[in-house]
Amino acid sequence: MPSEAAPAITSAPPAFAARGVAWTRRLTTGAMLLPAYGILTISVFLPLLVMAFFSVLKRSPFDPGPLSFTIDHYLVFVRRPYLIDVAWTSIQLGLWITGVCVAIGLPAALALAKATEGRSQKILFFLIILPFWSNGLVRIFSWTMVLRDGGILDYAYHLVLPSAAPLGLLYSFPAMVIGLVHAYLPYMILTCYLSISAIDNQLIEAAESLGARWPMTFLKIILPLAMPGIISGSVLIFVPVIGSFMEPRILGGKTGVTMGTVIEDQFTQAFNWPLGSAMSFAMLGFILLLFGVFGRALKQPATAAS
Amino acid sequence: MRRLGIGWLMVVVAFLYLPIGVMMLMAFNASPFYTLPIELTGHWFTDLAQNEKLLDASRNSLLIATATAIISTVCGTAAALVLGRQTFRGKRLLQILLLPPMAIPWLIIGTAMLVFFHWTGIGRGLHAMILGHVALSLPYVMLVIGTGIQTLQPDLEEAAMSLGSTPQHAFFAVTLPALMPSIIAAGLFAFAVSLDQFVVSYFLAKPGVTTLPVEIYSSIRKGFTPEINAISTLLLGASMVLVIAFAWLSNFGGAHERR
Amino acid sequence: MSAVDIRGVTKTYGPVTVLDHVSIGFEAGRFTSLLGPSGSGKTTVLRIIAGFIIPDVGSLYIRGEDVTTTPVWKRDIGIVFQSYALFPHMSVMENVVFGLNRRGIRGAEARRRAAEALETVRLTGFDDRRPKQLSGGQQQRVALARAIVTRPKVLLLDEPLSALDRRLRQEMQVELLRIQRESGLTTIFVTHDQEEALTLSDRIAILDRGRIIQQGIPSAIYERPRTRFAASFLGDANFLPGTVAQGAVRVGDVAVQCDAALPANGTAVTLAVRPERMSMAAPSESHLNGSNAMAGVVRQATYAGAVTTYRLDGPGGLDLRVFVQNRDGTRFAPGSEVRLQWSPADTVCLED
Repeated sequence: MPSEAAPAITSAPPAFAARGVAWTRRLTTGAMLLPAYGILTISVFLPLLVMAFFSVLKRSPFDPGPLSFTIDHYLVFVRRPYLIDVAWTSIQLGLWITGVCVAIGLPAALALAKATEGRSQKILFFLIILPFWSNGLVRIFSWTMVLRDGGILDYAYHLVLPSAAPLGLLYSFPAMVIGLVHAYLPYMILTCYLSISAIDNQLIEAAESLGARWPMTFLKIILPLAMPGIISGSVLIFVPVIGSFMEPRILGGKTGVTMGTVIEDQFTQAFNWPLGSAMSFAMLGFILLLFGVFGRALKQPATAAS
Repeated sequence: MRRLGIGWLMVVVAFLYLPIGVMMLMAFNASPFYTLPIELTGHWFTDLAQNEKLLDASRNSLLIATATAIISTVCGTAAALVLGRQTFRGKRLLQILLLPPMAIPWLIIGTAMLVFFHWTGIGRGLHAMILGHVALSLPYVMLVIGTGIQTLQPDLEEAAMSLGSTPQHAFFAVTLPALMPSIIAAGLFAFAVSLDQFVVSYFLAKPGVTTLPVEIYSSIRKGFTPEINAISTLLLGASMVLVIAFAWLSNFGGAHERR
Repeated sequence: MSAVDIRGVTKTYGPVTVLDHVSIGFEAGRFTSLLGPSGSGKTTVLRIIAGFIIPDVGSLYIRGEDVTTTPVWKRDIGIVFQSYALFPHMSVMENVVFGLNRRGIRGAEARRRAAEALETVRLTGFDDRRPKQLSGGQQQRVALARAIVTRPKVLLLDEPLSALDRRLRQEMQVELLRIQRESGLTTIFVTHDQEEALTLSDRIAILDRGRIIQQGIPSAIYERPRTRFAASFLGDANFLPGTVAQGAVRVGDVAVQCDAALPANGTAVTLAVRPERMSMAAPSESHLNGSNAMAGVVRQATYAGAVTTYRLDGPGGLDLRVFVQNRDGTRFAPGSEVRLQWSPADTVCLED
């Protein structure tokens, strides 16, 4: 029923209301963002910029004398060739740990995603993730208990061969690998699990119905679809590993000389901050390069998970 | 094939918990040189109560973790609310800016903080460590709360307004309480991350003002004693409890609905 | 006297005009449906009445008062959202007393009135449960109780039944009608389901692309649709295009009588006839006096228990549909020639 005839007033709502709201809106938006991003700026963005500045100074600005600029520090790899060895050790460490994590983690993720379900799946998943979120230092330390001479492995070894020399597992490259794999394995399992659980079971069933045996199914179907998870896990493991210094020092002893320890030395022993800054930035550049190359794969697990 | 897979999973889980188990076991071993076989005792734990340095470091760790949790939760919630509910120019940029703190190795961030804080006079110590920890946990806090906001029904505030609430009242009476599980989860997470944080604390600590992980590290460098095992066991236990609490809150808090 | 009145309301978002000079009056105490396909603007109308949207042009009156720019929280309305929007951290009782508290009614008095409202929606005994412990139908009842307990000036329902399965939906339709009658609230109901609108409403307003197509009593719109859209959106229709000639309409070779007044000779018009108003007979049977008739060939017969739907080819390539109640088992097989018959009173001349 159309409305009764009443004075037909067509009025436009006052426009001032809209504009006033926009102004205070912007203020409150800014005020709410400021604390978080302010802290980030002071603690992360500005420090990084300042470190970039430091990296091109000849001497530390705290020393007396005028500031002078140089890019010498970035050429340190040329001047001190032993650093190339150190860098190579770091990269080797990264490659080894990433490789072992894939070898161990991919099957584990596969089993977790496809061989378990429901409650037991959740429990297993949680058990695997739990150590990852606990104290990293403590976990590395715990490996010294296992690997050291007189520790569990050495003890068991001597039970079998009492007169043999000590295993000497600790303070070696393998020790670092074991410790770091242990630290980062859950990460690889997580990313691979996310990718694999997104694989529809029907794909596998379809392959089987077409006659594919297990190795074929794995190579042609599971592996390619899990690749985003593998790649993102690899990048997210490789990056922290090449920058690690705590683990090499604890588990590597004299052999534990990596880019991370060298950089740390510049800041805490040698106090050559410009050099340390330059090395840090060189590493940062290398890392950004990695992200650039593998960046696309990193986005995919995130969307698969949502 | 399936049993193979589950078997492998068991191996992996065993691998993950083996060293932790050994370390905890050694914390109860009476021998100060870790000689086996094991003689059970709890005296290393009680000895801890005398260790002034460790006690101080623990106090600092707890203090910093609490401050970090509170500060990052408050700042992070405010920022997450804006990013999650409004659209404006530059929002994408702000979201991308959250990635560097998460992706850049702590070594680089830690040293950069050291450089910048020293240069600008912020210096090292408790306040510096709090600042550093907050910065590192903010992206994660905002991620957790952001997810909570996304799962929030958009018409809750509208419903409240239709019943007579002003927008402010609607926010405090409806939105904030509904977000509370996420906020608490994020706070616990920040607390746990801060408690376990080593690298940044290492660079920002100064003599006399350290955190527990930094102290543990120094002790390890000097040599092993079961005291380290004891305190490490406690620390590990604490972080695991926190993670379990976090998982319980974020997974099972208000996420289930029957329709 | 209208309880709610929107006059000349226009709303645009950039280049898109969502509402174009819409005027509707909602009578007090009546159940009015806003019916239309998605994108028709019906939800926008609702949100303007609620106050979440302010129109660019036009005004809104609730009980005679101009509330076009009054904030939502001062309008004294009740809304049931499509997602129910129950406060997850509050119990059922706390949800329902929320609006009362905002109006200064607290404590025992508030709980008493809330209990009354919950009884009206037949949901007693759930006071302390949380929303997530309730089923979809129960949640909806809580949402309804919460909206009506404050005795608002107008009750707005935004497709509240669309998330329910069929049987529950039909149950809730009956409930909704009963509650509306009992409470006497002016109710505005948004839906895209024409059957729902027909079942529930005292009045219907059909919208399409921001314009009102037709509004009125359900039977009036159904019997006398004014446009092609109204005819096909509310029910089914057969469309017969033709030209006016000597008081009838020539559809091909057939002269079709229409009860309503026709425009001038020579005008091209479209007639509409509801499929259930046509009957089918074998060509040999006698012609009913005074009725329109047309020859057709059965193309398809779909048996659906109570009704058989026939699709036929009419003269001049017309595509016709007829609904026949299966009263006596007579069936026409595909390919049979039949004679369609219907009364001129059932012939509608459309305006477009």
